[in-house]
Amino acid sequence: MAPDIAPIRKKLMKMLLLTSGIVLLFTCASFFAYEFLTFRQSVVRQLDTLAQAIASNSTAALAFDNPDDARSILAAFKADPHIVAAALYDQSGALFASYPEALATNSLPATPEITGYRFEGSHVVGFEPVRQGNKQLGTLFVKSDLKAIQQRFQLYGLIMTLVVALSAVLAYFVSYRQQSLISRPILQLVETARAVSDRQDYSVRAGPADTFEIDLLTGAFNHMLTQVQQSEARLRAQMSRMSLLQQITVAIGDRQDLPSIFQVVLRSVEENLPIDFGCICLYNAATQTLSVSTIGAASRSLSASLDLIEQAALPVDGNGLSQCIQGRLVYEPDVREIQFAFPQRLARGGLYSLVIAPLMVESSVFGVLIAARRAAHAFTSGDCEFLQQLSQHVALASHQAQLNSALQNAYDDLRQSQNTVMQQERLRALGQMASGIAHDINNAISPIALYTESLLEREPNLSQRARSSLTTIQRAIDDVAGTVARMREFYRQREPQLTLALVDLNRIVEQVLELTHAKWYDLPQQHGVAIELRTEFATDLPGIMGAEGEIRDALTNLIFNAVDAMPEGGILTLRTRATRASGDVQSARIEITDTGVGMDEETRRRCLEPFFTTKGERGTGLGLAMVYGMVQRHSAEFEIDSRVGHGTTMHMIFPAYTQAFLATTRMPATQFTQRRLRMLLVDDDPLIIKAMQDALGADGHLITVAGGGQEGIDTFLRVHGTEEAFAVVFTDLGMPRIDGRRVAESVKRLSPDTPVILLTGWGQRMLAENDIPPHVDRVLSKPPRLQEMRIAIRELTE
Amino acid sequence: MGVLRVLAALVAATVLLAGSVCAAPSEYQVKAVFLFNFSRFVEWPPSAFASSDAPFVIGVFGYDPFGNQLDETTRGETVNGRPLLIRRVHNVSDAADCQILFVHASEATRLDGILAVLNHRSTLTVSDLDDAARHGVMIALATQEKRIRLRVNVDSARAAHLTISSKLLRSAQIVDAPVSGD
Repeated sequence: MAPDIAPIRKKLMKMLLLTSGIVLLFTCASFFAYEFLTFRQSVVRQLDTLAQAIASNSTAALAFDNPDDARSILAAFKADPHIVAAALYDQSGALFASYPEALATNSLPATPEITGYRFEGSHVVGFEPVRQGNKQLGTLFVKSDLKAIQQRFQLYGLIMTLVVALSAVLAYFVSYRQQSLISRPILQLVETARAVSDRQDYSVRAGPADTFEIDLLTGAFNHMLTQVQQSEARLRAQMSRMSLLQQITVAIGDRQDLPSIFQVVLRSVEENLPIDFGCICLYNAATQTLSVSTIGAASRSLSASLDLIEQAALPVDGNGLSQCIQGRLVYEPDVREIQFAFPQRLARGGLYSLVIAPLMVESSVFGVLIAARRAAHAFTSGDCEFLQQLSQHVALASHQAQLNSALQNAYDDLRQSQNTVMQQERLRALGQMASGIAHDINNAISPIALYTESLLEREPNLSQRARSSLTTIQRAIDDVAGTVARMREFYRQREPQLTLALVDLNRIVEQVLELTHAKWYDLPQQHGVAIELRTEFATDLPGIMGAEGEIRDALTNLIFNAVDAMPEGGILTLRTRATRASGDVQSARIEITDTGVGMDEETRRRCLEPFFTTKGERGTGLGLAMVYGMVQRHSAEFEIDSRVGHGTTMHMIFPAYTQAFLATTRMPATQFTQRRLRMLLVDDDPLIIKAMQDALGADGHLITVAGGGQEGIDTFLRVHGTEEAFAVVFTDLGMPRIDGRRVAESVKRLSPDTPVILLTGWGQRMLAENDIPPHVDRVLSKPPRLQEMRIAIRELTE
Repeated sequence: MGVLRVLAALVAATVLLAGSVCAAPSEYQVKAVFLFNFSRFVEWPPSAFASSDAPFVIGVFGYDPFGNQLDETTRGETVNGRPLLIRRVHNVSDAADCQILFVHASEATRLDGILAVLNHRSTLTVSDLDDAARHGVMIALATQEKRIRLRVNVDSARAAHLTISSKLLRSAQIVDAPVSGD
């Protein structure tokens, strides 16, 4: 520190010492010069005085020509040792007397010169007239050396050296003290400046100085520091706001939904600006109201007391809110002075200063940001500017979030559509596959169906047990056929043609419980789980028109689901009820209730969608979808009540049908009186040929069989026109090379009156699509039912 | 400086010229100067003069050895503002009007008479008689080693109320002599 500070002290000291030294030297020089001059003068004067006295005394000597006397007078010069020579000249200028007497005459002027004194080298010489009255009697010459001056000056030199030395010492001490008057405050300033520049600390101040100008300088310096400090503080505040803005911008950039954006913004502003209360309101232009969208986390306690809870509506009246809605930032330094409802509400809550910033997108205000502080006049212009900028950022982010959300929705819709299309495609593929399977199954079960029906009909001596078994087989065959037929529903949009019959729902429920006994009783028991079955059957349940098999399948599905929902056991309740309105029977209802896990809202909403399953790999996701399809085909209603943890109740409400309808449909008779007919059976499946031959043969018909299309046509041609011509032709549809259509065509070409009955595993599809080929009089689906065949034969041949 | 030097040379030349003109002054030429010089070294009381504007008179009694040299020497001179007159005095009674009265040695016989007349009168008596001072002459001009020496009878001068300058007395020889008439 010393080497840095020393210069100014040194310089000041040097300056002061130099000044005093110069002054001293100048004074000395002046003094010497003055002394030199005045001393010469005084020497001359003294010499003159002496010479005058001597001259005066010499008058008589000269006047009366007495050289002895003159010499004795001149001898008086002895008193002054500096007088080296003197002489008297008489009136004529001749040397009269000289001093000292031994002096050589040639060392004196030969003649007197003009009166006066002059310096000659180290001597002064002079001529003095010797007068008596106004009469000059002669001239006195004196010559004095200047040793007196030299002596005097030696003395002066000594004194002056002492004085200078003393003065230097004194000046040093005085200047050492005096320089601090200037250097101390300057060094203090330097110290302050150093502190400022080293530590960036603008709060230090230089102390007051004793000197007016330096005090001014210090004052100016301090003032400058104050200004620097203030502007630095402003800069810092600006920087921190900018960084806050940036931080908020980054934070809201990560968020896509409005509430979360607003929450982040409000929290940041509450914590960092900070503010005492902050909320964001959305503007509804139609109703001219603002509704509180989000309240800052820290503002919630306050907002409750202000009655400003979320979703609260704020009317936009003539207060600051309306100005803000027009897109202007509003600052109310003291809301107590504003006589409008909203500011007054804040004032009651102890919030006295308020800033409302508009949230604008494309020059329309969609909301406002409200910031408030407890103190009045608490927002600076920097704060307002910050809130303005922030609101712009928030508005942009919100807009983006809205756009993003719209985009997301569009994307979701697209994906949903894509899923649907994919599912339909899957269903179509499945349907095609199912259709093939159905054809094969139908063919495969055709003999079973025919033989079972035939046995039950023609063997009256069957034991009760055998009859019961055969009846169950027949029902199962029907169900298989129905199930196979419904496989098409997966890819068909159109309702299948239902073969509706009067159905007793109570009986169907009993049948299904019997069929599913293993599922709800045996299997749970094996796993040590007990499922208690409860049934409530309505005795006055009306009949409905429906497809028994479908209803059975649906019920089976629902029971399976109910059991699956109770892995820990529970109560399974099946209830049938008649629903009445004003006395008339309107509908029959089946309810299946379990006490299982229940469904949440999401599951409940989606459970009817195809392929939606909660059973993982075990489920196909088609169960309830099929149930729902059945319900719709029966013009019935389907309701689901479910609570998570409490269980589920499924309702199927079928419309009731009248007795008249029931009578007309109660067609099938047990026995026909049948003529014996010649029939041709064309099928490539020998089992079906055999079964049909047996069944129809048992009715007394004469059956000719053909194992393929071409064989069938050939056979028909051979007997055509003879007595053995066929009355009816049964042909399978799908056969290698020559299919049923070709057979029918050939038959009709020869004999248009001969009925052709087409048997097909695809039969239901053809019926449904009105795809009955030309030349075919009737289509019967496989497995063929003896009863149906009889009806068809009778109708076509009578 | 040059001018001064020329001036100094001129002055010196003039002095030298004057010296050469007056070279080797005669005895009475010197005595004439002495006589005139006495007027400067002696003070006369006012009673010595008849009036305030009365001239200063230097008288030569009896024989006049000066010729015109005295007149030459004193021409145009004044004494204390009074015109200087040279008067030849032949009568003792006339001598009283003179402020300085020179009595030549040849008049020694008449000296006492003159002094008697002049008793207590403020007239400076000067004589070149050898022992004039002892006779009561106030200043005697004695020739000694070719120089003229002054011998002063101070008592006589005091008796005549004349004050002789100490400077004159310094270069003179004081003679103690009774005042004539005592």
